[in-house]
Amino acid sequence: MKRSTSDVNVAASSIEPVTSGTTVKPRMLNPEQRAMLRKAISHFILICLLALVLVPYVMVISASFRKGDFAPNGLLPDKVSLEHWKFVLGIPYQEVANAATGETRVVQAETPPLIWFWNSIKVAAISSVGIILLSGTAAYAFARLYFKFKSGVLSGLLILQMFPMVLALVAIYAILDFAGQYVRWLGLNTQSALVFVYLGGISGYIWMIKGYFDTIPASMEESARIDGASQFQTFVRILLPISLPIFAVVFILSFISLMSEYPVASIVLQARSNWTLAVGANSFLAEHEKLWGRFAALAVLSGLPITAMFLICQKFIVGGLTSGGVKE
Amino acid sequence: MNRAFPIRQVLTVLLAIPALYVTFVLYHSGNALIAILILVVTCLGVFIYLSPAATTFRYLFPGFLGFGIFVIFPLLYTIYIGFTKYSSEHLLDFDRAAGIFRNDTFVGANAASYKYRLYAQDDGTYVLYLEDQKDPTRRFASDPFELTVGGKSKAPAQSVKLNTLQPTDEVNGKPLETPQIVRAKLLGPLRERQFVTPDDTLLGIANLMSFTSRERLWTQNPDGSLTNKKDGSVIKPDFRQGFFVNDKGEKVGVGFRTNTGFDNYIRILTDSRIQGPFLRIFLWTVAFSAISVLVTFAVGMLLAVILEQKDLRGRGIYRTLFILPYAVPGILSILILKGLFNQEFGAVNGLLKGIFGFAPAWETNPWGARAMILLVNLWLGYPYMMLICTGMLQSIPGAIYEASAIDGSNAVIDFSELTLPLVLPPMIPVLISAFAFNFNNFNLIFLLTGGGPQMVGGNAGETDLLVTYTFNIAFKDSGTNYGLASAIATLLFILVGFLAWINLRFTARKAKI
Repeated sequence: MKRSTSDVNVAASSIEPVTSGTTVKPRMLNPEQRAMLRKAISHFILICLLALVLVPYVMVISASFRKGDFAPNGLLPDKVSLEHWKFVLGIPYQEVANAATGETRVVQAETPPLIWFWNSIKVAAISSVGIILLSGTAAYAFARLYFKFKSGVLSGLLILQMFPMVLALVAIYAILDFAGQYVRWLGLNTQSALVFVYLGGISGYIWMIKGYFDTIPASMEESARIDGASQFQTFVRILLPISLPIFAVVFILSFISLMSEYPVASIVLQARSNWTLAVGANSFLAEHEKLWGRFAALAVLSGLPITAMFLICQKFIVGGLTSGGVKE
Repeated sequence: MNRAFPIRQVLTVLLAIPALYVTFVLYHSGNALIAILILVVTCLGVFIYLSPAATTFRYLFPGFLGFGIFVIFPLLYTIYIGFTKYSSEHLLDFDRAAGIFRNDTFVGANAASYKYRLYAQDDGTYVLYLEDQKDPTRRFASDPFELTVGGKSKAPAQSVKLNTLQPTDEVNGKPLETPQIVRAKLLGPLRERQFVTPDDTLLGIANLMSFTSRERLWTQNPDGSLTNKKDGSVIKPDFRQGFFVNDKGEKVGVGFRTNTGFDNYIRILTDSRIQGPFLRIFLWTVAFSAISVLVTFAVGMLLAVILEQKDLRGRGIYRTLFILPYAVPGILSILILKGLFNQEFGAVNGLLKGIFGFAPAWETNPWGARAMILLVNLWLGYPYMMLICTGMLQSIPGAIYEASAIDGSNAVIDFSELTLPLVLPPMIPVLISAFAFNFNNFNLIFLLTGGGPQMVGGNAGETDLLVTYTFNIAFKDSGTNYGLASAIATLLFILVGFLAWINLRFTARKAKI
């Protein structure tokens, strides 16, 4: 194997012991060499896999800057253009309408796709806050209070939630259609109605929060009760402040899963200006002419902040996942 | 406590008032049952938040309300639909379907003729003014009604009520003469409307200038059958078929929704057009879920073990980057990968062609499509497994590895004899729930392949999961059969619910130990 001495990158330098190690049987290595070999193999596997993970994202970023609409391909755009970004942000731009005559026309999105991202953030954030309120209070009852059939109800919640909501869409449609006749903001084609539908998906989070409450000893609350605090006060003043981490986890997990929710949103929201990110992003690719460039720009624009948020809160989330063990 | 401002009581009342108002409105519009239901729930809520005996339920009420409306009710309703005939052919309930017959009219022998004028109201509605051409003192004005230009209403609109006008009464609004009506394209929608006088005569537009009285085509008989006044034929509803049938047994008019018991379930089991694809789809669904879980677990575990080596440099960075597919919203990742696997222009085939000289048919070949789905799902799913496995690995005390190192073991033995036996039991609930999640992984299939490629000689796709197959039965334009879809949905729920129950038993047993 040839090795360049001038620009030894991490991968090459870590492969080096592998090549030298193949001639010698591993058993004959001393512990230090064995550790080196082990680390080298590790780096090699990790970097190969990492390439597979990262390349698609790099390609999407490059597709968003590439002129024309091509499926993501290649790490660098050949012809750089900002047209897709302008479209997504709702900025007008010139486009050659007729290649022969060189005629141009001005293109501008009627509803800038950026709005879909904003709609999604609104719906997902409000729903997540609602989910925290509903599942937090219910989890408190399950963790600290006594009532009949408690464990049965708790299991029932989880089992019932296994019903595929996609297939209950007929019923959800009927409910919203009916409610909309009397209360406008509960009807079809409103984002508020979508929020209400999402508020039903709480049972997994009830389990998660209850699991967290169970790990907190009740002694503090009990002594507060003896000192004259009401039940509600001990819940709000004592338990809630200690439990903020789990609420952060629930918020992020539900926020991210709702950002990706497609079927219910696609049935409830009909007007283009009302769409969420999931519905809008798919609309670029659902039609016969696939608008990869616009999709890529929208994906990068909306994916980046959410990904960043997730990565920043990574430690919280991992803790929450491994303690509760429930995934949406 | 007593001197404090009664926030809870005030809030309860403030929320109860709009609820009572809605109850009132619903009751008045003829939805007594739903009005009573809301009233009961409101009373329950007021009781729970005011009575000191119900403090526990103060914490449960809001969550249960949301869960009840948007999970339990749709679930029960879906199960109910599974026992009915309800499809695009049988869309209306019985009363609406019979109402269409009741509104069928014809111009009788001694029909009266009416002059008319249309009055446009300020709020966009219209009032129709009618005057008997033979007897000008017989004058009527309709209730305000809407006319939608262009859009053809799917269901026949209800008849508009006419009120008798006293000689001194005048109609308010801007009068429209015939030419204006024609120019505003209101004639078409007006033609679809029927008007009914206080003595229950139906009136409809006859020509540009006049309205005429019409007779109902069908008369209702005491046994529920209908008799045609023109030719004397009799039709009666067949609740088994969901259709009105004549004496020869032929279907007449539109179908209606009807209870059919286990018909949909029997159809799933016996109808070869459904049974054939159903079985194949079921097997693929099971295989897809099982393989997905095993492969994501294997890769996740591998990465977790590799990244658990304390002396490896850059572990934090690796870990963060490997979480990416979990952090990016799933829908975006799925669509991105759909682009990469594009059969003709995608990067994957570009690369494979360049290196190995062959390009798999990810979209048109069933096995290609299945392979792509599994690869994409591996890509999407391993980070979650990696996170969970990392958590489990960190809970294993390091001392046992030190002990085995003294015994001269190596990494492979360590993994197979120590790590795996310790990690696997607590992983089982996670694996089962991952299986259940993939079993109904609608987004992945719907967005990635849409179920395609088409199965030969059927309306199912080769990569359809049960959930997408059912969704297509219910919502695809070719055959919207809600009844059948709901029956399959119920079966699916029983299956996945059972898995969840087993899972709970597992976790419960673990908790006891």
